[in-house]
Amino acid sequence: MTATAAVGIAGLGLWLPGFPSLAAWRAGRHDSEAQAPPGRSLDRVSRRRASFLGRAMADVCAEAMCDAQVDPATVQTVIGSAIAESATLLGLLEQMWRRKEPVSPAAFTMSVHNAASGLISISFGNRSFTTSLAADENTPAVALLEGIGIVLATGQPAVVACGDEAAPDGLIAEEHTWGPLAGAVVLTPLQPGSRGHARLRVRRPGRATLAAADVDPAVSRNPQIGLVDLIAAVAQGASGCVGLDRGSGLGWGAEIEPCRDR
Amino acid sequence: MATPRVRPLPVTGYSNLNALGSSRAEILAALAAGRSGLGPPAESPGFETAVGAVTAALPELPAALAPWSTRLSRMVAALLADLDEPLRRARERWPAERIGVVLGTSTAGVNATENAYQAYVAHGTLPFDYDFRRQHTFGALLYVVSNLTGARGPMWVTSTACTSSAKPLASAQRLIAADIIDAAIVGGVDTLCSLTLRGFHALQLLSRQPCRPFSSQRAGISLGEGGALALVEREGEPIVLIEGVGETSDAYHISAPHPEGRGARDAMAAALEQAGCRPDEVDHINAHGTGTPLNDSAEAKAIGALFGDRVPVVSTKGYTGHTLGAAGAIAFAFSAYAIEEGWIPPSLHADPLDPELALNVPSRVTRGRFRRVLSNAFAFGGSNVSVLVRAP
Repeated sequence: MTATAAVGIAGLGLWLPGFPSLAAWRAGRHDSEAQAPPGRSLDRVSRRRASFLGRAMADVCAEAMCDAQVDPATVQTVIGSAIAESATLLGLLEQMWRRKEPVSPAAFTMSVHNAASGLISISFGNRSFTTSLAADENTPAVALLEGIGIVLATGQPAVVACGDEAAPDGLIAEEHTWGPLAGAVVLTPLQPGSRGHARLRVRRPGRATLAAADVDPAVSRNPQIGLVDLIAAVAQGASGCVGLDRGSGLGWGAEIEPCRDR
Repeated sequence: MATPRVRPLPVTGYSNLNALGSSRAEILAALAAGRSGLGPPAESPGFETAVGAVTAALPELPAALAPWSTRLSRMVAALLADLDEPLRRARERWPAERIGVVLGTSTAGVNATENAYQAYVAHGTLPFDYDFRRQHTFGALLYVVSNLTGARGPMWVTSTACTSSAKPLASAQRLIAADIIDAAIVGGVDTLCSLTLRGFHALQLLSRQPCRPFSSQRAGISLGEGGALALVEREGEPIVLIEGVGETSDAYHISAPHPEGRGARDAMAAALEQAGCRPDEVDHINAHGTGTPLNDSAEAKAIGALFGDRVPVVSTKGYTGHTLGAAGAIAFAFSAYAIEEGWIPPSLHADPLDPELALNVPSRVTRGRFRRVLSNAFAFGGSNVSVLVRAP
């Protein structure tokens, strides 16, 4: 068995189709117009450059950081995504092979997996640690592991955000396609008297004892759904183990226990 | 800025593959002879440039892994084959679920997807043997490595463009310090592909001729491919020690470095701070040194601000090309060579040196005792990583 030391969860953020924030989702306020994240937290130039995913990631990070009352200019950032900017990549392949056009330099620079973390650091003026990682359905678990590692090593908070755009048309069998989502949690060191939503340990095996979040079936197939399940459980003040991959990954779980002073 | 508190990490094995060769002996012979691996691309991209292609024969994957076979996964298989003995010892020493895998790549399976997409455009269907999830995604690489090595611990791919394979060294440090794992396979790989060649060409960053980092006549990047892997363990007989890793962001521009090298300087300073080491204790720097006017200028200012012009600075991009997501790991391997071998190669084609850069850039093989070597990797997104390695 593998289990991490405990850290605190001090902030939450969520974007789902029709639900532009965690508060909107918890209140069941569906907005059929809110099918694309606005990217309000990005500066004007970055917002123009950002993909659907980049805007979603920035907004959920901003929501979680605001909730946790951490400084966006110094918080360490871990971004997880299975396919990240694949839509931009496929656009470039269309340019190259179908339209026989030169590659767009702007699109090329935004096709890297860390485009979102770059724009977030620029918009928030954050010169500290950022990273971008991927592990298919295990991405939420390993993003949390990386986040816990950096929090324990530095004694400073980290925001961990995971998200994926809709699966690319044509490249994935239809039964495996998914809808978009993004979520974020702020992790903090556990200190006497520290405030937060919950205590967190990541473990494997991590058999789920808490129910998965109730989301649209297409969204539930998104490789990052495990982080949404964690956010939903923490927001409800639940105690127990959240599965981080809905059975499709290596079996990592998140053991949570609510903080009593929140 | 917070500097992680972690202890030096033993490296008990490493392997390296690039345009100079697939064995340590081949690579060292080329470095000693000042022989570049750069040349014209096998297929013309429609413009003049030089690339560092891997010419070594790559192993086939076992039949059970055939659906995951790509140039990228076969490069990883070649690198793992060179780590066979230290990996065997690590498996005897640590439980499989305590051996992690943290690799870096920027392109992942783009090369395979490019080929498939060309067929899709031509015929309206993807090739029968193409599978996005087995050949394109980052998880595919992890699946191959896990199956080839038996490692069952936490595993992920870091993809932060050209710092991708340097960051896993720090991740492994933290995972071991947090007692989540006891050992890890770290490093990274990247392959040449049309998209990166055309993308860097569109950005007007490619050199027509083999790149000339730090030269007054430098005119851009030469792309390359390859990778390097290292086995790091909680304890063991170290070949070298990873003493400090600094990770920062520029927060300046998505694709251009801060002109004064602010984030780069901070990353180097953070690596030194983690090691508790002074700048004058560093004996050599393997620079990011891509050969673009702006990149080399920013890095030179950052190095100058911390180290002055004393320490010998070499870019090995003139030998291998810029291997993008693999660059950080390959720079680590060159740092380890310097410590083990007691010499560093000349910075190829750097003469005439750019006098504005005020760096000590050797133009011939330099022998000496290299106890501590720093290597740099900088990337799109303003990502900066510096890795400090020292002799045991």
